[in-house]
Amino acid sequence: MHISFLIHNAYGIGGTIRTTFNLAGTLAEQHDVEIVSVFRHRDEPVFAPSGKVRLRHLVDLRKDSPGYEGNDPEYERPATVFPSTEGRYKQYSALTDRRIADHLRTLDCDVVVGTRPGLNVHIAQQARRGIARVGQEHLTLGTHAAPLKLTLRTHYPRLDAVTTVTEADAATYRKLMRLPGVRVEAVPNSIPAPVVAPADSTGKWVVAAGRLAPAKRYDVLVKAFGKVVAERPDWRLRIYGGGAEKAKLRALIDKLGLYNHVFLMGPANPLDPEWVKGSIGAVTSSLESFGMTIVEAMRCGLPVVSTDCPHGPGEIIDNGVDGLLVPVGKTDAIAAGLLKLINDDELRRRMGRAALENSARFDPAEIAGRYEHLFAELTGRGALRGSLHRTRGALLSGALRTKDAVRPALRRGSAA
Amino acid sequence: MTPVPTPAGPANAGSPVPEEFTIVSAAPRADCIADSAGGLTFDLDAPEGADASGHWSAALVLLRRGGNAVENADDEVRLPLTPNGDGRLRAVLPSTVPLPEGRWDVYVDVGEAELQRLLPGLADLRSLVDRRPGPSTSPLAVRIPYATKHGNLSLRSWQRAPHAEAGDLVLDAKGVTVHGVLHRAEDPAEWLAGAVAEARCRRDPELVCTVPLETAGHGFSFTVAHQELCERWEGGPDAWDLWLRRTDGSGEARVARLLDDVAEKKQIFVYPAQPVDAPYAPAQAGPYYTADNDLAIRVDERPPVS
Repeated sequence: MHISFLIHNAYGIGGTIRTTFNLAGTLAEQHDVEIVSVFRHRDEPVFAPSGKVRLRHLVDLRKDSPGYEGNDPEYERPATVFPSTEGRYKQYSALTDRRIADHLRTLDCDVVVGTRPGLNVHIAQQARRGIARVGQEHLTLGTHAAPLKLTLRTHYPRLDAVTTVTEADAATYRKLMRLPGVRVEAVPNSIPAPVVAPADSTGKWVVAAGRLAPAKRYDVLVKAFGKVVAERPDWRLRIYGGGAEKAKLRALIDKLGLYNHVFLMGPANPLDPEWVKGSIGAVTSSLESFGMTIVEAMRCGLPVVSTDCPHGPGEIIDNGVDGLLVPVGKTDAIAAGLLKLINDDELRRRMGRAALENSARFDPAEIAGRYEHLFAELTGRGALRGSLHRTRGALLSGALRTKDAVRPALRRGSAA
Repeated sequence: MTPVPTPAGPANAGSPVPEEFTIVSAAPRADCIADSAGGLTFDLDAPEGADASGHWSAALVLLRRGGNAVENADDEVRLPLTPNGDGRLRAVLPSTVPLPEGRWDVYVDVGEAELQRLLPGLADLRSLVDRRPGPSTSPLAVRIPYATKHGNLSLRSWQRAPHAEAGDLVLDAKGVTVHGVLHRAEDPAEWLAGAVAEARCRRDPELVCTVPLETAGHGFSFTVAHQELCERWEGGPDAWDLWLRRTDGSGEARVARLLDDVAEKKQIFVYPAQPVDAPYAPAQAGPYYTADNDLAIRVDERPPVS
C-alpha cells in the first residue's frame, strides 16, 4: 500500500509527531510511506524519522531558506477551508488552504491519514475519490470546544474511518456523532521498546515526565511526595520536562522544604535513559487523552502509579497487576500508592516485570499491524460500496451542515 | 533540545536520497555507558572513510576546553577506537586514566586532517546515580558526559582527593546545615576528627568563617550561620565557598556534589534564600552550586516584598 500522512509540523516536538514517526517508520517496513508536513520551520526534524519514510513539506517557514514563504501575501490572508474552530486556525492561511488542496487533489496513494481535526476536515473535503480517508484523533472529542465538535460532525461523515487512541474516546465518538458507514476504531499510540536495558527496580527514585502544564497536576504529585518523604526519606522524586508551571512548582517545593527530595530536571530527550534511573513511574494528571508516558515508563520496566483520569490510564494499567490506579487529585491516595510499591521490594519487582511484558502490546509492530488491518479493509472493499458510502456521507454531511448552521442562530435567539 | 539518535539500524545508508527527503546529519553520534567506578565506554558507528577491518589509527580524542594540546600534552587524551564486535567502534575511558578537572570536548580522529566533533547519542548513566565510590586513596575520578549548548558531546571531569561530597542541606531561619561524606582520604574518620569547616569569602580572602564539624565515621555535618556571613556584608552579591580543613594544615577538601549523573547541578539542586537582618541592610542568604558543582553560600540584597 501507498500510505500518506498529513501532519501540522513534523519538524517540531510533540506526542503526535513522535507517534506518527513511530507508526510511519514501522509501516514503511512493508509499505510505501510518506509524511507530508504542512509547515517546515527548521532544516532537520527534532525526532529523526526512519530512513525509509519520505518526509516533505508544503509551506517553508525557514527564514534563512531561499524558499521562505512566510512573507507570501497569501500567507497573511486567513484560511477558509481549514476550520476557524480549530485550535491551530491562526497558523493556517489562504496559502495553506491552497497548498493542502493542491496536495490532496494530486495525491496518488491508497490511504491518506490526517493527524489533527483541521487536516482531517481538509481530507474529508478534498482527497481524491478512491483513496481511503482516515482521520486520527490524537486528543479526545470530549475536550474539543463545542464549535469544533460541530465542525467535525459536519465533515467527518465523509471520512472512511476515524481513529481514536482510547476505547473510551471511540465510544464518545459513536455516541455524539452521526457517522454512518464510518469506521470508528480505537488504536492506541505506539511506543517502541527502549534502546536501553530495563530498570532493575533497585534505584530509590520515583520518576515523572511531561510538560509542566496545569493538567499534569505536578503540584499534587509534589504534595503527595511530601507524605512519602515523611515515611521514607531515603526515596526521591525526579520530574522531567519544562513548561509554564516551573516557577510555581519550584515555590511549592521550597515551601514544603522538599528541596532535598524533589528535583525539577528540565527537558530530556530521549527519556528512556532517565526512566531506567528510577524504579517507579508517577502520573498525577487530571486528564490524559492517552498516556504516552505511562507506556514509556512501563516499557522501561517501571510499574506506574497513575491517577485513574479520563481517558487513557485505565486502558493501559491493569490495576494491581502492572501498576496502580489511584483517584484523581487525592494526595493521600497517591502517596499511599507510591508507598505501597516503595515499601514492598518484591511487589515492585513483580509489577515492574509485568509492566514490561504487558506494555509490549503497544509495540510499533503491534500497532502498525492494527492500522495495516484497518487500511486493508478500507481499501479492499469494492469501489462501488466505497462510492456509495461517499455519496451517503456527502448527503448526510450536507444535511448536518444545514442543521448545524441553524443551531447557533437558534441558540442566539433563545438567549436574547 | 538535542536531536534523538536515529532509531536502531543505520538510517539512510547506501544510495543518496533526493533533495526533498530528510537527510540525517552526517556528524557521528557517540553512545556512552558509564560504570559505577567512574569509567566511560563510547560506541559509535564507523565514520565514512574508516576501515574497521584494515590498518588504521582511529581514535576518540578529548581536548580540554580552553587548553592548548599543541603546547600542553595534558590537554589532549587519545583513546584508541577498536571494533566492538557489533559492527561499531568502541573507545574506553577507564577511571584510572587521569583527566584533569574541567570541560573536555569529544572528537573523532579517523586520520583525516581535521578532527570531527562528536554529537551525543544515547547516554546510559544509571550507574552514576547515587554513586558510592569504594575506599581508596587515589583521587576520586568523576566524568559526566553532557550535551553542550550547541548540541555537541563534552565531558565534565573532576579529580579530587580527598573529596567532601555534599548531601542533604537543611535550611532554617538561622542558617544552613550541610550533611556530607568524606571520600579518598587514608582514614576518613581520622581526617575528619582533626578538621573544621570553613566558609571563605571570595571578595576578601581575609574573611573566613570557621565552624566545628560533627562527625560520624566517614560522614560529617556542619552549620554555617547566615548572620555571621552578613556581618561584613555591604551590599551586592557575596559568595562564600565551603571547605573542610585539617587544623594541623595537613590538607583540605572542597565541599562539592559530584557523585551522580547531573553534569550541571546549578539549575537542578536549587535552594531557597532565607531573609537575614544584616547590620548594613536587609539581606538574604542561601546555598547554591557553582558552575563547577562546588557548594557555596550567596549573600545578596533582599528584594522588596511585592
